[in-house]
Amino acid sequence: MAGVSLKKVVKRFGAYQIIHGADLEVADGEFVVFVGPSGCGKSTLLRMIAGLEEVSAGELMIGGRLVNDVEPAERGVAMVFQSYALYPHMTVEQNLSFGLRMTGHDKADIARRVTRTAGILRIAELLQRKPRQLSGGQRQRVAIGRAIMREPKLFLFDEPLSNLDAELRVQMRVELARLHRELGVTMIYVTHDQTEAMTLADRIVVLRDGNIEQVGRPLDLYDDPDNQFVAGFVGSPKMNFIPARIVERGEKGATVELAGDRPTRLRQPLTGPAPEAGSSVVVGVRPEHFGEAGKGDADLSVAVDMAEHLGGTTFVYASMAGNRELVIQRDAEHRADAGEITVSIRKSYLFDESGKRLR
Amino acid sequence: MRLRTRTAYAFLTPYLLVFLAFWIWPIVNSFWLSFLNTRTANWTFNPQVTWGRLLVDPAFANALKNTLLILVIQVPIMIALATVLAVLLNSPALKARGPFRFAFFAPVVVGEVAYAAVFRLMFNEFGIINKLGMTAGLPAVAWLSEPTAAMAVIIIALTWRWAGYNAIIILAGLQSIPDDVYEAATIDGVSKFRQFLFITLPLLRPVIILCVVLSVIGTMQLFSEPFLITNRGGPGQATETLGLFLYRMGFNTFNFGYASAIAYTIAALAVAISLLNLWIGREREQ
Amino acid sequence: MRKSVSERRRSIALHAAMLPLALIWLFPLWVMFVYSTMDDNGIFSQGVVLAPSDQFAANFAALERDVGFIRATVISVIVAFVYTLLSVALTSMAGWALASYRFVGKGAVLATILGTLTLPYFVVVIPQYVMVARDFGLHNTWFALIVPPLFNSLGVLFTRQTFRMMPQELFDAARVEGVSEWRIFLFVALPLARPTLAALSIILFLHSWNNYLWPLLINSDPSMMTAPVELGSLIGLTKVSWGGIMTGAVILTAPMLVLFVALQRHFIAGISAGAVK
Repeated sequence: MAGVSLKKVVKRFGAYQIIHGADLEVADGEFVVFVGPSGCGKSTLLRMIAGLEEVSAGELMIGGRLVNDVEPAERGVAMVFQSYALYPHMTVEQNLSFGLRMTGHDKADIARRVTRTAGILRIAELLQRKPRQLSGGQRQRVAIGRAIMREPKLFLFDEPLSNLDAELRVQMRVELARLHRELGVTMIYVTHDQTEAMTLADRIVVLRDGNIEQVGRPLDLYDDPDNQFVAGFVGSPKMNFIPARIVERGEKGATVELAGDRPTRLRQPLTGPAPEAGSSVVVGVRPEHFGEAGKGDADLSVAVDMAEHLGGTTFVYASMAGNRELVIQRDAEHRADAGEITVSIRKSYLFDESGKRLR
Repeated sequence: MRLRTRTAYAFLTPYLLVFLAFWIWPIVNSFWLSFLNTRTANWTFNPQVTWGRLLVDPAFANALKNTLLILVIQVPIMIALATVLAVLLNSPALKARGPFRFAFFAPVVVGEVAYAAVFRLMFNEFGIINKLGMTAGLPAVAWLSEPTAAMAVIIIALTWRWAGYNAIIILAGLQSIPDDVYEAATIDGVSKFRQFLFITLPLLRPVIILCVVLSVIGTMQLFSEPFLITNRGGPGQATETLGLFLYRMGFNTFNFGYASAIAYTIAALAVAISLLNLWIGREREQ
Repeated sequence: MRKSVSERRRSIALHAAMLPLALIWLFPLWVMFVYSTMDDNGIFSQGVVLAPSDQFAANFAALERDVGFIRATVISVIVAFVYTLLSVALTSMAGWALASYRFVGKGAVLATILGTLTLPYFVVVIPQYVMVARDFGLHNTWFALIVPPLFNSLGVLFTRQTFRMMPQELFDAARVEGVSEWRIFLFVALPLARPTLAALSIILFLHSWNNYLWPLLINSDPSMMTAPVELGSLIGLTKVSWGGIMTGAVILTAPMLVLFVALQRHFIAGISAGAVK
């Protein structure tokens, strides 16, 4: 009943086009996360759904109803802002009830909703305080509470956790997941933090430069990215990209040679057509997909520059011939601090010159 | 931001009406008036008696000369004083900052009429200034009936009234200079005086230029002081300024056309001198 | 040790320079106050007397009897209050519109306000007078005293700046909740702008209270004269004693000085903003 549907949605500011025709279906009750680097248009897209920005072209539907020209308040949405947007001159209770009071809502019902919201978020004892008397996490709860007060069909979150410290962020992430389970309504959530996206989302929408790069479940994006950008964005530390050249193409794959003065050859299985021999490609390897020498598709000798020991895992920063920087994840039995080590590539991805995934 | 023309104009219209009626329309109207002979029953187009007269009127030349004289002498003295005051008031070594601030800033809230009355009385031939002077063995000065002395009184009064105002603005500029700039200079062994010369003054330049521009605009329309202190520009026309001359033409002889030409001259001069200041003070490429 | 000696020497020099200067600056105000308590025999007596006397009440009684100074002061108070209220209301609305919305003609409105900012007031005084007094015959009215000076754009630029500095999400949050733009302005934006509104009100009140030229031109009838105009008309006449004039000057000045001491922070904020506007 409150799915969201975007059809060829475009946003222009004067001569600049910010969103280049976005298509997206969000199902009722789904938790969808928009993720991408800053300036990719994810916040603009969210603000268009909220009604704070006009839709320049295309169709925006909420709950099956075309809402291009509907005022924000009539869309049945609630929004949580990055800065919390709490009114500093009002108490928590007044903040929670402001919108309903201003629109002439029934007083008894407002009181009922305040009690319910305070219960859900465990902020009953804070109701008479002013925002400046609250901690960051408490403010965040009140901001979410204000959205709950509206009993909306659709929640919109604009980077709500980016002002919190790391520990609180983890805690609030758990709370948000619980809230989604309890309320069972549609949520759209914008972040630039891929960890947040991976942990919260039913589905992730990856944006870049106003285009939707890929939509999918978190692990699908991780396991099977459509292009080099998504592959690089999802997963931490980032996937390593090594320039390579096709040396031979066959029926079910191709052999590539990694750049460097000690050429390494790697066999890549492909179901689709492979590029011609001699063309440039990029091989992507996640840090966690390096393994013990001899146990993968190909071996690689690298010089260790530096190692970060986290205990259970170690991240080795190494350079291979040609001075290419690599990040390699090692387990506790295979720590390395310096010198030359040989690792194998257990799993890899192949991208063409334009960044498109070759499958 | 959504396009909300109707809402915006709902908020804007009340002010816009006043702004258009009592500011924009008069600006346009004044320009038109300056070409009219307004001394006949039906106002007729005749720039000869307005702009033409301006060029040859000795009274206008006199008022222009007096105004520029005040500008050239008073503004530099006052701005220099204000800068020094601001720096001293900002000094961490200064005790009793509150009373000192009060002494220099209080004139800002004193009305033109009240302070003009006091200065006129103080510089009366038998006033307190002469009494103090004579106690110190100085001869009495006929402050308000000697042309040069009368001009001096105007300049003294203006400086008293406006130095604190400019010091407030410069002080705000001073306080926006980060402390670490000075700390770095102190560590480098730069003396306090050199810090003032080579750090404070260059960083204050935009603020000081702003003060000069404001003072120029103010001086170009100087009216109340010569009107009240030196009794309508006296002695004779020795302290008649452009503002006072405009008043005399406009509201004693009701020659609106001529007065409008004077008004536009004042505006043109104010804008020209301000632009000149901005040009002199522009950021130079190193 | 050496350093503290040189520091002390510098501090003594600083105060030795500042103290006489401050006394010179306070002198006219002191003279105003002292002379308001003297009759003219005292003011023009032979010696230098700078201690207050006891004639303030007599001076005030004479001033009131001769020109009705209380009525003029009441008119000034009413004009200053109404002007301040109206100007804050009109300009904060305009400042809000210019800060918060994209709309057709916004650039033109802003450019016109900024472009004419540095024009001297004298450019408009003649046509304003011709329009209000001659064309509409509104001289000697409350309207003439209060409304034309409302063109002042100080409040527009000052409040616009303040509203723009506020996090826009505060207003977006209210918009998503269906709060009307007027209510957002009244219940969110204005309460948050309180320091700016205070500074603005003080400066506007001061402007109006001390305004001289326009009331001088437009209200020539004694029954509608403001206090500064009334006082100005006495200077140079023998009708009222100098003691009486100083009493009037003190009545005009003292409330502003008290206000200044009490609200110095807002005054200074207002003056700085007024200059940089």
